Amino acid sequence: MNGEDRDIAGEYVLGTLPHAERLAFAARLKSDPTLQVLVAEWEDRLAGLNAEYAESPAPDLFPAIEARLFPRPAQSRWQGWLGGLVTAAAVLLGAVVLPPLLAPVAPPVIAELGAPDAGLRFEAHYDGRDLILRRVAGAAPAASQSHELWIIAPDAAPVSLGLIGADPLRVAYPAPLAGWTLAVTLEPAGGAPQGIPTGPIVAAGQITL
Amino acid sequence: MDDPIADLLTRCAAQDRAAFRALYSATSAKLMGVLLRMLKDRQEAEEALQEVYTRIWLRAQRFDPARGRGMTWAIAVARHLAIDRLRARPIQTEEAEYDQIADTTPRAESRLVALGEARQIVQCFDTLEPARAAALRGAYLDGLSYADLADRHDVPLNTMRTWLRRGLAALRDCMEGVRA
Repeated sequence: MNGEDRDIAGEYVLGTLPHAERLAFAARLKSDPTLQVLVAEWEDRLAGLNAEYAESPAPDLFPAIEARLFPRPAQSRWQGWLGGLVTAAAVLLGAVVLPPLLAPVAPPVIAELGAPDAGLRFEAHYDGRDLILRRVAGAAPAASQSHELWIIAPDAAPVSLGLIGADPLRVAYPAPLAGWTLAVTLEPAGGAPQGIPTGPIVAAGQITL
Repeated sequence: MDDPIADLLTRCAAQDRAAFRALYSATSAKLMGVLLRMLKDRQEAEEALQEVYTRIWLRAQRFDPARGRGMTWAIAVARHLAIDRLRARPIQTEEAEYDQIADTTPRAESRLVALGEARQIVQCFDTLEPARAAALRGAYLDGLSYADLADRHDVPLNTMRTWLRRGLAALRDCMEGVRA
């Protein structure tokens, strides 16, 4: 046990490390399991103080948080508009910067959705960080409808991973598991309103790693 | 141990958005309280709250229930984000707010004593010299920097750093003694 690191971890949790030291420590913390344990121990020791934070009802910011994390094409509010602008800028930037970097390395296919001769087929790739779903055959649905991707653990309810637009869907995913199912359903434009699939499955396949 | 927040975080790590919504309902008032107390500005706290939940979703797979409770982890995400924001602000002292918070301490402390989980740390705070205990609380709860605290307690910055490092070490020894 390095006593110095333990002290610095304490100051990091307390929040008093001077800014430059704090940034340096946070950078080390990302890849150092020993430091992570030291920090978790301090968080736990000082957690008793958390009772002193009074609760304060927050406004319902959840829709705005969802819009940040899971941008949807059909949105009327300004957040959606802003999100669209940011996405458009990112796509533009991506179009300029990314192809030369990414084109040669295609992340491995982890699932094929739809039989080889089906009219509509998708392929799921995983690059170690993001799950990417691209349509490899067939067409996008009519404007009043959307294709929505779901992941289904054995014996569990489907969990939406988002809508498939003109570009491949890319969603951060910790570690896909072999045997889980990916399925695409046909939903009203904007996706299943309750987060539960309502339309027919148009393509599905199991994850193989 | 029963820890519904930990269960929700584990489900978030598996991309379960219904669990994420439930997590927001269950924890947003507490995290808003943390951010308001540290940032002392409602609009900034609301912005920060959105960032906090974005981080929680993206980092949920790093949460390890074996290492601590779900709420402790979520509060740590909020506190670290608030501290990053505070340190990025131009330097200024916040004496008025600090006075105000010092006044609330006895009431807060009695509330603390009622909570079993918090009892150890309260006992251990009582073993510290009062000024050092107050400085530690100001750092943890309000996100005050060494400069803020040195100014407030009218001691050189290095002295304040020594106070707090020794205070942390004394707390650690005390809590290990209480647990043993």
